[in-house]
Amino acid sequence: MDRAVIGSLTRAVIYISAFLIGAVLMGFEMLGSRYLYPYFGGGIGTWAGLISMVLVALTIGYFAGGNIVDRYPSALVIAVATGIAALYLAVVPATADGLMMSILNSMGDGPYAILAAAAALILVPVSLLGMLSPVCVRLLIRSTEQTGRTSGLIYGISTIGNVFGTLFTTFTLIPWIGSRAITYVFCGVLIVCALSLFAVSRQRP
Amino acid sequence: MKIVRFLLAALLVLAGGSSSQARWSDMRQPVEYKESLYNNIYIYRSGNYVSMTFGYNSRIYTESACNTKDDRELPIAYTRFMTSGLMYAKNARSILEIGFGGGRTSWYLHRFLPNAQVTSVELDPTVMELAKKYFGIREEAKFHVANRDGRLFLSESKDKYDVILIDAYRGPFVPFHLLTKEFYGIVKAHLADGGVVVQNVEPSTMLFDSAVKTIGSVFPNLDFYLAEGNVVTVAYDGPKRSIGELQTLAKARQAQYTLRYALAPMLDSRRPYASNSTAIDGNAKVLTDDFAPVESLRAIEQHNRKWTGQ
Repeated sequence: MDRAVIGSLTRAVIYISAFLIGAVLMGFEMLGSRYLYPYFGGGIGTWAGLISMVLVALTIGYFAGGNIVDRYPSALVIAVATGIAALYLAVVPATADGLMMSILNSMGDGPYAILAAAAALILVPVSLLGMLSPVCVRLLIRSTEQTGRTSGLIYGISTIGNVFGTLFTTFTLIPWIGSRAITYVFCGVLIVCALSLFAVSRQRP
Repeated sequence: MKIVRFLLAALLVLAGGSSSQARWSDMRQPVEYKESLYNNIYIYRSGNYVSMTFGYNSRIYTESACNTKDDRELPIAYTRFMTSGLMYAKNARSILEIGFGGGRTSWYLHRFLPNAQVTSVELDPTVMELAKKYFGIREEAKFHVANRDGRLFLSESKDKYDVILIDAYRGPFVPFHLLTKEFYGIVKAHLADGGVVVQNVEPSTMLFDSAVKTIGSVFPNLDFYLAEGNVVTVAYDGPKRSIGELQTLAKARQAQYTLRYALAPMLDSRRPYASNSTAIDGNAKVLTDDFAPVESLRAIEQHNRKWTGQ
């Protein structure tokens, strides 16, 4: 496969998805606090658990995404990852309470229990979404002279997405609709991204 | 603990610009300043009085005040009304407080009801430490402070209480999980027969309206006590207590415990809640674990609150 040829539509879809996926990723972290507080309290420990698990998940995503895309350099990789993350979010609202309760009952409410609860909520979807950046860099780079600019652009766009997701979730979505409804909104956004990425991955340039 | 007021001085500091911390300390020197996991805690002394305040954004919120020469005084008015639950509770053998702060209310109850088991729950260990250091609070056989999140403590507790006091504000912040229908469901499950919940809610914003709707969705009876800018809400299950019943029990409890702040006169500040009350915004929503936008509700000022009836 020739890395030099990738259509402008594909590029646009990848950049837009990078923004939206970045937004969902941090939006879901903010939402994580709403899921955890009732069970593990409103302490600083809950935030430490959430933030550390998001970063662990991103670490996994970066490693996995980089390795997989070198083997299969196609937008299909990130389309599938985003699709699975969407399915995971789809089951969160109905199952989160039972899950939190069983962690509380079996592990108590100490740091390990908070980490376990944050991991159960965040690890799978955020690892999958974290694959995005290395995958996109690999797909978008046309020549080594552009490596810096291309990787800078994709990290910049996805980070601005993070910022937007954090603020929009906190100041608009949480005051407006419930946490479960927000989770379904995120799931919907991811499905749209996954389908668009899937569509462009089938295109022959 | 609760925002009682922020000092005007803080506004001056805001206007003053960058070196707010320095200018603030020029005006009044704290006896001790501690940065805890959750709060910036300043202890001030003025004559016999020591106060514990939390600082946020160069505003100072007084959480608790104490007369070091007289540990049975409650210098902050609304904390006296926190004892009004004693006029409702069938028994007064066990009392739980969520949100210990300086521990004034719980310690006062401990001193006047020496046979009651008083338990208080506080999230911030440094607040507990400073309350013990400056406010003369100590662990006793009938007085215990647990370092825990209030909701977690209750969820895990198998005990029932005659009176549950809730005062868990942290400066200007309200932990949402202590203000939802699910939370009050847990509270109700831990009330003994004839038990009451007494809660302090700051009434100047729409958060008050939603809090009242939420408490009212779990407890059929609510009475408000207007306490110099604060509103103390008493909530209970079962048949509604008449004013006569309250007066009778107030007298009996007064005779039994000789409380410093007599209960019966508090009835003058009582405003029973009716679902058609004009004091509460009809559009206010019940808060749930799923939907509890406490921060944005708190940002909506409610100037038109009208207290009627008695």
